Amino acid sequence: MKKPDKWFVFIKEIAPGKRRGLTVLSFVLPLLIWSAISYIPALWHPEVRIDEVGDTIYFEEGDRVDIETFRLENAKLKAAGDEVMSGTRVNPVYFPAPHKVAQALYYAFITPPQRTGEAWFHQSVIHSVKVVFWGFFLSSLFGVPLGILCGVFRFFSKLTEPFIEFFRYFPAPVFGALAVAILGINDAPKVAIIFIGTFFQQVLVIANTTRTVEYSMIEAAQTLGAKTGRLLFKVVIPACLPKLYMDMRILLGWAWTYLIVAEVVGTSTGISWFINQQAKYRLFENVYAAILVLGFIGLGTDMLLALIGRSLFAWEEGKHSFWSRRRNRSQESIGEDDE
Amino acid sequence: MNSLVNNLALPSYKEQSPEVKAWFDRLKQQPVVLEINNVSKEFESESGPQQVLKDVSFKVHKREFMSIIGPSGCGKSTLIRILACLEEMSDGMILLDKFPVREPGADRGMVFQKYTLFPWLTVKKNVMFGLEASGEMGKFESERMALQWLDIVGLKKYADHYPAQLSGGMQQRVAIARALANKPKVLLMDEPFGALDAQTRAKMQEYLLHIWENIDITIIFITHDLEEAVYLSDRVLVLKANPGEVQEIIEVPVPRPRSPEQFLSPEFLSTKIYLEQLIHPKLEETRDEFKVLRMIAKDMQGGRVGNG
Repeated sequence: MKKPDKWFVFIKEIAPGKRRGLTVLSFVLPLLIWSAISYIPALWHPEVRIDEVGDTIYFEEGDRVDIETFRLENAKLKAAGDEVMSGTRVNPVYFPAPHKVAQALYYAFITPPQRTGEAWFHQSVIHSVKVVFWGFFLSSLFGVPLGILCGVFRFFSKLTEPFIEFFRYFPAPVFGALAVAILGINDAPKVAIIFIGTFFQQVLVIANTTRTVEYSMIEAAQTLGAKTGRLLFKVVIPACLPKLYMDMRILLGWAWTYLIVAEVVGTSTGISWFINQQAKYRLFENVYAAILVLGFIGLGTDMLLALIGRSLFAWEEGKHSFWSRRRNRSQESIGEDDE
Repeated sequence: MNSLVNNLALPSYKEQSPEVKAWFDRLKQQPVVLEINNVSKEFESESGPQQVLKDVSFKVHKREFMSIIGPSGCGKSTLIRILACLEEMSDGMILLDKFPVREPGADRGMVFQKYTLFPWLTVKKNVMFGLEASGEMGKFESERMALQWLDIVGLKKYADHYPAQLSGGMQQRVAIARALANKPKVLLMDEPFGALDAQTRAKMQEYLLHIWENIDITIIFITHDLEEAVYLSDRVLVLKANPGEVQEIIEVPVPRPRSPEQFLSPEFLSTKIYLEQLIHPKLEETRDEFKVLRMIAKDMQGGRVGNG
């Protein structure tokens, strides 16, 4: 009401309605483009799927041929006085339409595996999630404390960071063969790849974040009598926790990107196995469905973590989190007795 | 303004009324809490070693309110940070209750110019921070103490708020309560009201005087505001720049209890003018020349536009 509602504002926030609209649009737009290319033949559709073979001896019903070949063959048939082929213009098989992918997404979960002993789709997904979880968990178990120590004490920083800087330039996949040789062909080498891909970045990122703690906070705590242990656990860590949490969200995204590499190490498993399998059968809608599932899991986890983070670190905006509100309420009653 | 005041017949800042004299006599009989002996501070810069503080010595008595003023760059902030052991001195000795101090501690509570409340803790938890660090009292007891201190600075009803919800002045009041809750031997204040607007600052000065009058506390107060120094302090230590040396320690002849009306009293003005002369000597010579060409028409003078 007060301010003119503009779409283009330098750096600052735009109206909530506009924000939501754009968020929806960012998903709708790619979907629209995809649909247009899929359903409007004039846009692309470079192939013809043959419905009636006519008198041709080269093609069978259901074959996909590119449009030039189709026209040439029909022209030859016509010239010879034979019956011509008829067909429908289609996109290549590797570019399925949205509804096909949506169907595949549904059927993927209810279709039993082709061979007995193979994993169902949901089992593949769960397997992938497990690999990422353990890789990320183990990396964080060591990476976060080491990162914080590096951020706080130059001693640890100088002792470890130069080597880590060097090591992180080795692409994680190069350790694939080694990991299999050392850890066998089961999940251990896969977890190791995710660990290697995450850990070294994690130490550096966490250390840098820890170093951004405002030194005046530490000084204030010192003049309140806090010594090393208290400074670390009651000041440095809580002070940088919101940023560390943000780092962890980004790092988890990185861990996901190593998943596909990790899953082809040793025996192929999880979503990558499913994708490779479906690509072999040329069921590309299933490939897309699996890729989408990866996206949904990634985005879903991140949104959930963001939501939790907003409550955990409500103090940043001077608000009470859900649980601290409840705790305060119970304390208030004690306080009133006291008066 | 200055020349105008100068023309008034003002008493010397050294003239003390009997009651002020009695006040200082009583003060000097108090034990010495803090003794600063020949403190020097040097640091290496690109242009060689630079001396920030040189042979600074003075004593602070129990329950005294002492301000330290000086031109910018005189090292007054460095000095108070050395007292808190947040910075190391190159030479000298600091005795707190006759014992040398070596590391930061709750016995020298500090209030900074920057807002340093822990934003992840509620106001009450902030005040409890030092009490819990000392480990001397249980959670329940320290909570009670914290609320008591918040009551003293008038912020008890904000106990469960987060610092982000408080104004700058309120945050500094909590910071004062947080430092005082530890029962420090001295309270070090490094331009604590420097970031506040003039109105809030005036209110904060009232609060601080009120607290100081009612609580057994010695205060060392850094400021660049001369009126603030005169208004609050018993004695004002004037530092000289390059290197930072004690120029003079003056006894403020304004009687207590203080109130804002005293800003215009003769003894207040004479003290303030004297301090001004100490800090900005030969003002005329150091004034920079402004080279501004006249860029408005003469008939626009006074807001009138030509044809009007």
